Amino acid sequence: MSGYLNIILRLTIWLLLTSDLSLENIAIGIVISLILPHTHQSIGTLRDWLQAIGKIVMAIPTAYIEAIEMIFRPHQAEDIVIERVPPNRSSGLIFLDIFVITFTPKTIVFKYHQDGGYEVHRVKRRKNS
Amino acid sequence: MIDMLSYFCIGGGIIFWFWGTLPLLGKRSVLFKLHSLSVSDTLGSMAIVFGLLLKLPSEWQLLILAIISLAIWNTMLGYVLAYCASSQEDL
Amino acid sequence: MNSSLNLILMLMIVAMLIPIYAAWQANDVWQKMLALASVSSKASMIILVVSVLRDDWMIGVVATIVLSVGNAGFMILAHLLKRMDHS
Repeated sequence: MSGYLNIILRLTIWLLLTSDLSLENIAIGIVISLILPHTHQSIGTLRDWLQAIGKIVMAIPTAYIEAIEMIFRPHQAEDIVIERVPPNRSSGLIFLDIFVITFTPKTIVFKYHQDGGYEVHRVKRRKNS
Repeated sequence: MIDMLSYFCIGGGIIFWFWGTLPLLGKRSVLFKLHSLSVSDTLGSMAIVFGLLLKLPSEWQLLILAIISLAIWNTMLGYVLAYCASSQEDL
Repeated sequence: MNSSLNLILMLMIVAMLIPIYAAWQANDVWQKMLALASVSSKASMIILVVSVLRDDWMIGVVATIVLSVGNAGFMILAHLLKRMDHS
């Protein structure tokens, strides 16, 4: 099911890159997005993907709010937490999780453990609060 | 009105740039500097491109592509730099 | 519109001088990488603003390519540096 999502993503990037909506160009784009290699591993259900896309859309305003918060109230302390995620997620969903966490400026993932945990580096306002 | 909004976005983006780049001169850890760089280089640049997009909507395809590649590549670069720099410090 | 974009361009160039100075001053290789990555994305943003200022979209295409290729190069360089440290 999410194979379609993959093809739609490739087609969108092709159309943005060429900025040409003629029938021939769309046909070329579809052919290219089918030809490019894709994996046949388990890629998760459609619901997981919709949730992940929703998280990305929510991450953009959150990121700006955190940035403004960091500007007006300096965050000087830093610490490391481990965030748990359910194991056996597909590699695409892991990529999106890391993307969402790293995109918000207060948190950066810097290590991924195979048994389902991300090591997250955070900045905070003051120590041990 | 739209002109004002676009200048607001570009100005805000430049403020983000200066705020996030100045910590580079200080003596903090690489990871702390990465946090402020992700404010300036990802969010500030996205705000600037969005301001340009409001100014000239006729070439939206290229600017949308620029926003997408900014978001994805800068975030992944942040993760890769954090991963490589931290595993080096452990040794 | 052009004069205000010129002002914006000057401010952006001043902002780009900061990471250049930081890259020149830093001793640790990762601090240098951080500063240079910041220079790369700032330079491509400046090219994008110039392309809007001159209304020339070929320059804009170059900026978008620099944006993605430059960051990809930095990722490869980071992995290479890490592997050299390990060996």
